[in-house]
Amino acid sequence: MSVPLYHVLILAAILFAMGLACVVAWRANVIMMLIGIEIMLNAVMLTFVGGSAHWGIADGQLFALMLMALTSAEVSLALAMVVYLQRRKKSVNTDDFDMMKG
Amino acid sequence: MKSYLTLMLMFPLLGGLISALFGRKLPRRMVELTACATVWGSFVCALLAALAYRSPEKVVLTQWLTAFDLLAPISLYLDPLSLSLAVMIGFVCGLIHVYAVFYMAGETDYARFFALLNLFVFAMLTLILAENLPLLYLGWEGVGFCSYLLIGFWYTDKNNADAGRKAFITTRIGDTAFLVGIAWLFQLFGTFSISELNGMAFLMPGWVITCLGLLFLVGAMGKSAQVPLMVWLPDAMAGPTPVSAMIHAATMVTAGVYLLARMFPLIGGSETVTAAIAITGGVTAFYGASCALAQRDLKRVLAFSTISQIGYMMLGVGAGAITAATFHLLVHAFFKALLFLGAGCVITAMHHEQDIFKMGGLRRTLPVTFWCYLAGAAALAGLPLTGGFFSKDSILSALWLKGGGLYLGLYLLALLTALLTAFYTFRMVYLVFGGTGEKIHTLPELKVMQLVLIPLALLGLFGGILNLPAYLGPGFLKELFAGLAGAAPAEGSHLEEMVLQAVAGALALAGLLAAQLRFGGKARTQRVLEAKSEPSALVSFLSNGWYFDRLYHALLIRPYQAFSSILWQRVDEGAIDDTLDRLARGLGSSGYWLGRWSTGRVSVYIFSFAAGGALLLGYLAWLTL
Repeated sequence: MSVPLYHVLILAAILFAMGLACVVAWRANVIMMLIGIEIMLNAVMLTFVGGSAHWGIADGQLFALMLMALTSAEVSLALAMVVYLQRRKKSVNTDDFDMMKG
Repeated sequence: MKSYLTLMLMFPLLGGLISALFGRKLPRRMVELTACATVWGSFVCALLAALAYRSPEKVVLTQWLTAFDLLAPISLYLDPLSLSLAVMIGFVCGLIHVYAVFYMAGETDYARFFALLNLFVFAMLTLILAENLPLLYLGWEGVGFCSYLLIGFWYTDKNNADAGRKAFITTRIGDTAFLVGIAWLFQLFGTFSISELNGMAFLMPGWVITCLGLLFLVGAMGKSAQVPLMVWLPDAMAGPTPVSAMIHAATMVTAGVYLLARMFPLIGGSETVTAAIAITGGVTAFYGASCALAQRDLKRVLAFSTISQIGYMMLGVGAGAITAATFHLLVHAFFKALLFLGAGCVITAMHHEQDIFKMGGLRRTLPVTFWCYLAGAAALAGLPLTGGFFSKDSILSALWLKGGGLYLGLYLLALLTALLTAFYTFRMVYLVFGGTGEKIHTLPELKVMQLVLIPLALLGLFGGILNLPAYLGPGFLKELFAGLAGAAPAEGSHLEEMVLQAVAGALALAGLLAAQLRFGGKARTQRVLEAKSEPSALVSFLSNGWYFDRLYHALLIRPYQAFSSILWQRVDEGAIDDTLDRLARGLGSSGYWLGRWSTGRVSVYIFSFAAGGALLLGYLAWLTL
């Protein structure tokens, strides 16, 4: 095992920051926001796998598998909603959907 | 004896309860009959008790308050003092009840009226017969409560309700002092029993007895309308006339005199207390008589005359002459009830006009009332050989025989008051019955109402037989009261007594003569004309009761109102309410401002979420570094 843990963590942090920046900045398109979320989730998964390799315990890898399943389910649901929103307002801009204000 | 006393108390209570609970369901005649029958039943019991009476007797009916060493059973005490008062109350109240049936014939709320009237009698009898102080206090407060409700009987008029409240609050001041006295007595002696307390005065140092006596005196001042707590009585005229007659003659204002006479063996040992009682009585007697000189309302003249006559009774107690005070109390009850009931007849006949300057000529149109009223007036003025003459004179001679500068001064003041009394009494008689007047309003009820006056007139005229002066034979009351402590003051020779009576009689006749000159015959017309113009300063001073109401208004009511308005507007509304209001408003507006953050736009939320996460991370990083 030649890759040290903190390299993995730095890569994960960079991935997470990029995903977050994508979500915050690209609000004009819901699909881009979903992609940002996926990137953040992948950063988390990378952290799990790195930790699992470092300590030699399988729990992290199991969690990564669970996260994959969760992500695929989430994306399928979210894309269905995107299609629905597109039909309703002919738009995928999140700022157009602001009915739930306080 | 026990059953007589129990029944004497239970009859009016029962009558009151029946009228109160079922009065609205029962036919009117039935309620009236119950009310009268119970009071007369009580009177019959009192008479039977009087016939069976041998020596002072204590009867325990049942236990009432028991807690550790605090024992206050419902126990009654029958001695000459309570017996004579109970008989008088039964008789006078019985007549007043009969009168009230006809006087209140047009009243729709008769059930409440008769229930209260019966309870009034019950409370007074409890007060009279009580053997211990808590029971006496129960009657004392019962009397105050019933008088409050009856004075404000026509409560829809604010003035009447205010008069009731005034009576209640003013007497409450005295009651508080009395209650303090009772509690202190229990703390000192460990008992409430009046007969035991009366024998234990020597156990305590003089100053304690003096303080107790003064507390009791303040209590009596409130209930008996003595200076300075007399302001409620003239306003108490707001009630129906039979109620005024009850309050003035039998059931209310004499309670204070009775209390002092009852506790005299305890408190009479203190010179200060007796002097204070006598001074209170003397000042009140003069105050009442002087105010009565200028009143225009028939019932207010009588009210001030009551204040003045109760002052005489207080003088008698202060001089240690319990017999004389009680004698005057009994005779006064007869003639004052007579005068009030007579005034009720006059007012009914005059279409509820009460201004004596607008009356006149009633001696022809209401002859029965006139002669009875004249008898009552003669007794009130103390014209020789009437009941009032003998009773007032026994107080005057007790004052004279007591001697000493103070009592001599009070004797002279009382003589002056007697002169004023005769003058204002006949001023009233001349104005009401003299001259000519318009046609009166004759109701069928008026005939019966007048009949009630006759027995009272006879008693007022011949009440002197109750206690004849020594040179005419043995006095009945004097012998009856012989065993009572403090009942036998110094006695003068027959000659001295005759001279004293002659002086008092001459003064009463002088007052009558002065009234004849000023208000009789042609002079009357002129006075009636004068009365239409603005009254002089002195007259309005007297007719407003020396402006005591205004004095109390300025001294007590105004500061109290100012204080309570500060508490209300500054403290409650200003400080407490405002603070809370502002706090609520601040929270509301901050919530409104914070609420604008939740715009509904997902991007803002995500950005806030990310910023919060960054803040948390930054904080954790700062902690670890």
